[in-house]
Amino acid sequence: MKRVQLEIILGTLFVFLSALILISYATQETSRLAEYEVAQEAELIEFGASIYENNCTSCHGDFAQGIAGIAPCLRCEELFDGRIEAIGWEGELEDYIVSVVTTGRQVSTRAEYFGGGSPAMPTWSEKFGGPLRDDQVRAVSAYIMNFQAEALGEVAAVPPPPIAIDSSTPEGLGRAQFVISGCTACHAVSGVSEATIGPSLNGIATRAETRVEGLSAAEYILESIIDPNAYLVEGYGADIMLQTFGESMAEEDFNNLIAYLLTLTEE
Amino acid sequence: MLNTLRQRFNIPPRDELRAWFMQMIDDRVRIITAGLSIKELRAVFRGDPPTEKPNPRYKVITTSFVAHLRPRYYQQAATWFTHTFRLGWFTTFFFVVETITGVVLMVYYIPFPDQAYGSILEIESNVWFGELMRDIHRLGAEGMVLFTWLHMFRTYFTGSYKGPRSFTWLTGVVLLFITAWLSFTGYLLTWDQLGYWAITVGSSITESGPVVGPAMNILLRGAPDIGTGGLLRFYLQHVILFPLIAILVISIHYYKVSREHSISLPAWVEERDDIPADEKKKHTRRIDLIPDLLTHELFLVCVGIFAMLAILYFDLFNSPLETPANPQQTPLDTKAPWYFWWLQGMLKIEPAKILEGFINPVIGIFGAEVQLGRLLDSKFIMGLVIPPLLVGLLAAVPYIDRNPSRMAKNRPFAIAWGIAWIFILLALSYMGLPEFGIETAPATRVIQDLAPEEGLGPLREIPFDELMGAVETEAEGSFIVSREHLYGRDLCPDLAYIPESEEDSDDPQAVIGCPHLTEVFYQFNDRLIEAEEEGGFGTGLNGAGPQMEAVFIIQQWAHNLIRVQPTVEWIDEDGNLQEYHQIYFLHEEGRREH
Ligand code: HEC
Ligand code: HEC
Ligand code: HEM
Repeated sequence: MKRVQLEIILGTLFVFLSALILISYATQETSRLAEYEVAQEAELIEFGASIYENNCTSCHGDFAQGIAGIAPCLRCEELFDGRIEAIGWEGELEDYIVSVVTTGRQVSTRAEYFGGGSPAMPTWSEKFGGPLRDDQVRAVSAYIMNFQAEALGEVAAVPPPPIAIDSSTPEGLGRAQFVISGCTACHAVSGVSEATIGPSLNGIATRAETRVEGLSAAEYILESIIDPNAYLVEGYGADIMLQTFGESMAEEDFNNLIAYLLTLTEE
Repeated sequence: MLNTLRQRFNIPPRDELRAWFMQMIDDRVRIITAGLSIKELRAVFRGDPPTEKPNPRYKVITTSFVAHLRPRYYQQAATWFTHTFRLGWFTTFFFVVETITGVVLMVYYIPFPDQAYGSILEIESNVWFGELMRDIHRLGAEGMVLFTWLHMFRTYFTGSYKGPRSFTWLTGVVLLFITAWLSFTGYLLTWDQLGYWAITVGSSITESGPVVGPAMNILLRGAPDIGTGGLLRFYLQHVILFPLIAILVISIHYYKVSREHSISLPAWVEERDDIPADEKKKHTRRIDLIPDLLTHELFLVCVGIFAMLAILYFDLFNSPLETPANPQQTPLDTKAPWYFWWLQGMLKIEPAKILEGFINPVIGIFGAEVQLGRLLDSKFIMGLVIPPLLVGLLAAVPYIDRNPSRMAKNRPFAIAWGIAWIFILLALSYMGLPEFGIETAPATRVIQDLAPEEGLGPLREIPFDELMGAVETEAEGSFIVSREHLYGRDLCPDLAYIPESEEDSDDPQAVIGCPHLTEVFYQFNDRLIEAEEEGGFGTGLNGAGPQMEAVFIIQQWAHNLIRVQPTVEWIDEDGNLQEYHQIYFLHEEGRREH
């Protein structure tokens, strides 16, 4: 056989094989596209989870479970069932979330969620001076939307991860109380929180005695929690700290909390 | 009856009609093929000699625009596969492939930072054959770069840059740069961490230039950092400016070959005079464009297309796509594509240090010492001074090498020099690996290796069932690194699950325990212990011995989401507690090995 003919035959064969590969691709293409979309959504949720972790835990809790007095739960029925109707949002829930996250909230719509004061929730979108790009806002919204199925009981809910509690001592219980009551949203304490809305509580045990004449350290701390405006720390205005802790906590909780705060002697 | 009709309408007899009809078709065919009749075409494909005189196959070359770009013939020895390996040809092939797939990708691609990455996802997830197009374009790009280099080395070793071909070599050097620049500009367009940082690091070389450095940087990036302006610049260069320049220069390059000096003969055929006359005649026989060269090239096209499709079909190549570009977060390893590793390796050389190493021991005798770091900026020298010098050297090859012979045995120095450069490039590329010469703290290295930016990494190879299983264990997903080697002890002995690959089977085989997770954990464990033994965590407070503790925490975060947090803590020399951790989220349906 001449070389030209051999090449024509082999060439035809290769064209044939290439066509087979293309046909095989074509038959798989629909399912590949669908799979890719699912994987992409999953990655968006993973990405959103890390954005949440870096930006939102101080108010909405590590686990999006909300913090009493500060900000609402983002994995509860409270958000997924009836929230948009209550607030009069016409569109989809996901769009509501994107919109709230993008613009933040100057003033809270609910007195029980004080957030960071003013604004209650800062603006997140880059467009309005926040830190997040559009795709990041969409990712964190996808992360929140992912909780919908379990919030509405379609799948078994995941219990929030346990906080390391040393329940054998009042100080240990007090430390847990400090986290549960949401004090961490405003006050910095080494190893627990780095919030800056209120003054740091490192060294409060020694400072408390010197604050108000006639009040012991424990008495002063109790007063600052029940009636925060009675004595204002220099540089902070009135009414920033919630005024309602006195009603929402049991006496035992107070004792634990004070026991804990009295261990914070180091600056 | 028929006859009367025929007469009535003045229709010629059947043979005449047929002849007229065939003539008409033949005329059309001649117009389309620029001069070949049907008979001639048939002869061409049968390998018969030309049917008319003068040879109509030569006429095509003067009458057809496309064919006139091609030579009439090559001499037989010049077409030997082992002479050219078709390297230049395949480079051209890849360029054409890139042009076609590039136009398709252009239809969907949006060159703006906030949409670019999304449009790539769109191509992958929403466009029929979109992934294939992207893969071919990326594979073709790497192929083109590789083949350009190989082609250059081929022409170097066969001495084909000598004499009349020195200008061809010069245009080739320009093409080498154009090819590199096309791939460099394309690398940014995906707007993911990989491309963004590779280009940021690459283009930062310009910044080191004296006086005009910052201006050059702005010219290239459109702003101090790559943003909207930079992306648009790179895009336009990639899809318009440099393809046009490439077409022009390839045309010049090839015109020299086809019109002026043809492909060189193998050196010995040209130079040895002890070859018998008939053998010489056989080797220099003309191989015509039509049909031999043309069929051969069509055949190569079929081979090329098939090879690319097969490589992609069997998953031997994948276009990478990492997380979206984030200018605020430099990844641990910024990785240039492999064909730029040599440059990245070169940038790790510090000429000031080397010179100091030579000078200081000598002048040290007199108690003196010089610091050249300020005087000699490594980035400037290795990035902006040396590479242009190298390009100049490459371009000057035909003028430096004045040896008239092309035979390897007559030019030992040139051959040795060429081989030496291959090794230099390989060594520089090795130095350019992200791991080379860059010290990363062991905690960072070990933890980041669990889920590297590129590829899957060990963490993503763990099946989701095993991660969920780990949470239910006695340890509640908290596994502490220990110094006792506990191989073989499964982390979740009570788990049994059906892997995805078995789900459709009639007799699914369950996996007992969590072998994948166990493997990953013990690797993590052992690497940390090893690093500790090698002193990677220091010697502890006042040299009391290293103190390192590490834990691998797996938590369930939602019904379909797992959070993994590996944490390492150690005490440094001053007694301070150091800590490093990373948080990884893994979704049930996320990227994972199947
Ligand atoms: C400074 C505290 C603070 C931070 C930080 C914060 N939020 Fe909020 N967020 C709030 C408060 C307070 C509200 C309730 C506002 C209201 O009720 O009107 C809220 C409401 C929301 C809502 C609407 C919930 C509903 O029930 O209407 C969403 C969604 C939300 N936040 C998401 C986020 C995300 C995502 C982040 C992180 C990127 C974040 N938040 C960070 C304080 C915060
Ligand atoms: C919404 C933010 C916010 C929350 C939540 C909050 N605080 Fe405060 N806290 C402040 C601010 C602002 C001040 C300073 C102004 C003042 O003295 O009232 C303050 C002051 C204090 C002081 C006095 C500090 C000093 O140096 O004298 C104590 C003690 C204190 N808070 C304890 C708590 C405890 C305990 C909780 C949790 C039950 C809590 N706070 C929750 C904002 C907050
Ligand atoms: C885009 C890149 C390039 C393309 C498309 C290209 C294309 C070609 C083609 C098709 C040939 C015909 C011979 C053959 O197939 O080998 C050729 C020959 C040649 N090329 Fe290139 N080339 C490129 C880059 C280079 C480079 C980088 C060099 C060297 C610096 C070079 C130097 C030469 C020389 C010297 C010849 C003549 C070879 C001979 O006569 O044997 N080319 N080129």
